[in-house]
Amino acid sequence: MLEPNLSAYAPIVDRPIIKWPNNARVALWVAPNVEYMDFIPGPNDGKGGFFRNVHSRTPSPDVAAFGLQDYGNRVCFWRMLEVFDQNKIRCTVSLNEAILEHFPETKEAMLKRDYDFMSHGIYNNRFLNLLSIDEERAFFKDCVETLKRHTGKQLKGMLTPAVSPSPNTHDLMAEAGLIYNADWGHDDQPFPMKVKTGRLITMPYNLDLNDGTFNRFGCSPEYWAQCIKDQFDVMYEEGAENARQVCVSLHPSIMGHPSRIKYLDEVLAYMMSHDGVWQTTADDIAQYYMDNYYDMMVAHLETHDYSA
Amino acid sequence: MPAERKPGYDMPYYEWSPLPTRPVLKWPNNERVALAVILSMDHYQWKPTNDFANGGLPESHPPYAYKSPETPGGVSGGGRPFPDVIGFSIREYGPRVGIFRVLKILDKYGITPTIAIDAMTAENYPYVVRVLKERGCEFMAHGIAVNQMITSKMTQEQERDYIRRSLEAVTKATGTRPRGWMGAEFGESEHTAAILADEGVGYICDWPNDDQPYPMKTPTGDLYSLPVNLTLVDLRSHWYGRIHIDTYAKMIMDSFDVIYREGAQTGRMMVLNFQPWLMGTGFRSKYLDMALGHICKHSGVWKASAGEIVDYHRSQAKG
Repeated sequence: MLEPNLSAYAPIVDRPIIKWPNNARVALWVAPNVEYMDFIPGPNDGKGGFFRNVHSRTPSPDVAAFGLQDYGNRVCFWRMLEVFDQNKIRCTVSLNEAILEHFPETKEAMLKRDYDFMSHGIYNNRFLNLLSIDEERAFFKDCVETLKRHTGKQLKGMLTPAVSPSPNTHDLMAEAGLIYNADWGHDDQPFPMKVKTGRLITMPYNLDLNDGTFNRFGCSPEYWAQCIKDQFDVMYEEGAENARQVCVSLHPSIMGHPSRIKYLDEVLAYMMSHDGVWQTTADDIAQYYMDNYYDMMVAHLETHDYSA
Repeated sequence: MPAERKPGYDMPYYEWSPLPTRPVLKWPNNERVALAVILSMDHYQWKPTNDFANGGLPESHPPYAYKSPETPGGVSGGGRPFPDVIGFSIREYGPRVGIFRVLKILDKYGITPTIAIDAMTAENYPYVVRVLKERGCEFMAHGIAVNQMITSKMTQEQERDYIRRSLEAVTKATGTRPRGWMGAEFGESEHTAAILADEGVGYICDWPNDDQPYPMKTPTGDLYSLPVNLTLVDLRSHWYGRIHIDTYAKMIMDSFDVIYREGAQTGRMMVLNFQPWLMGTGFRSKYLDMALGHICKHSGVWKASAGEIVDYHRSQAKG
């Protein structure tokens, strides 16, 4: 068996058919990454995990890098909210939970709109890879408790900070009561993961069509908009037969920028103009899958041995 | 050994042969362009198999096989500590989802792909092998894993072991010994072609230098080169090179137009290579469909497997 063997192999063309509520073709979740990073990160001395140097241009701080991100929080986030409201989008916020502590107005604006919160760790530059298992267990406890304390919500899922899971992460997620893991972009549907305790599924977050990825490679916002509309079209067509999910993954400082905001509006309006779109949150998709398809998929895997 | 300043190459594998000086090549039925679509089914090994420079090779790893710096993951590739879930999962999309979307598009145009499959995929994805076998696909060997690339740091013995394992895995999985070879990340050492010929391989796709197949010279056997159009490989131009997907599709269509025009004088070919984890994603699949649709609306295109093109050319050259 190939490592890491965290999800069984099952070809998408030979799985039980998934149907979303009201027979929707596509579950659409919109995930702005609301992030914060240490102004001066801790030293990488083997204690406290691995601090990514997000200010790689100069020794920290690089105020240009810090400032651009901060522009996202101070200005662009609010601009994005208007576009979400106009298009009646209920977001799944990929949240560095320190935001709840640093910026109360941001917290209130998200709570007022009944957004769901997919934890994105506490600070985006604090990676999980090198944490000891006990440190990582404490991290998950912190994430669950911090969200509960500030929002009253039970944490259901996570995209690890900057996608930095350790080999223990999936097990510790399930142990902490999470039901979905967004790190795995390996499919067009959620899928059960193998964990030691509890139940966990993948919730494929789209790093490939992420605005940050496009921005890093110098792509125009028009190009991003075209690609993600194309993605939607294909998922929508295929979703008539077997449900698909579309994740629009965003950063306020990028698609909320004045040079790009109209393309975000265009994309969301385009998707929402279709019938058969279940605009919802990753929390709700995961819960729906757990309630209706998890057992079916596990049973399918027991009777279908794709390794033979 | 640095080159000597005299006519011809400073390597032994084939003769200098500018295309306009060759006899006219006629494809079957006087088609202008031979088209082969090679799909790479490769596995991205989970543990950072890198690299002699950084040490830390797992036991299963052949000594000195190498991860190209372009391939994501591992300590030196992504600049992040292990594990590289991003790099791994994006490629795992291929056998889970991408391959089936690509096949659906190829079906539309009556193209039977040739499959370059590495040992780890052949050994671990029997369902995928079965689906492809049922379509009558030809399988080529493709190394062990995408992050285990052949380089000159390997001894010839290590390289021969690596090649044998690759060939045996495909033979075992498909029931047929592969005749073709495409290296992981197109990697070869100065010895690879000779070792491959010695191991009975009939043609290789690692030398991207021609619009026609050509015979290679090896001390031990009868080896052909079937050049892939490297600039049109999705991985190279669109993924590593970040050329936009619509531009990439246009490059394929524009290339075809030129090769088709030139193919009226002497037969040319397009050997296209796609990665199902990449071109099989939703939005990219639209552009694959567009590019292949453009090619296949033309008459005079011979849709063939890689091996069929080589066999035909060999028969003509001998005849």
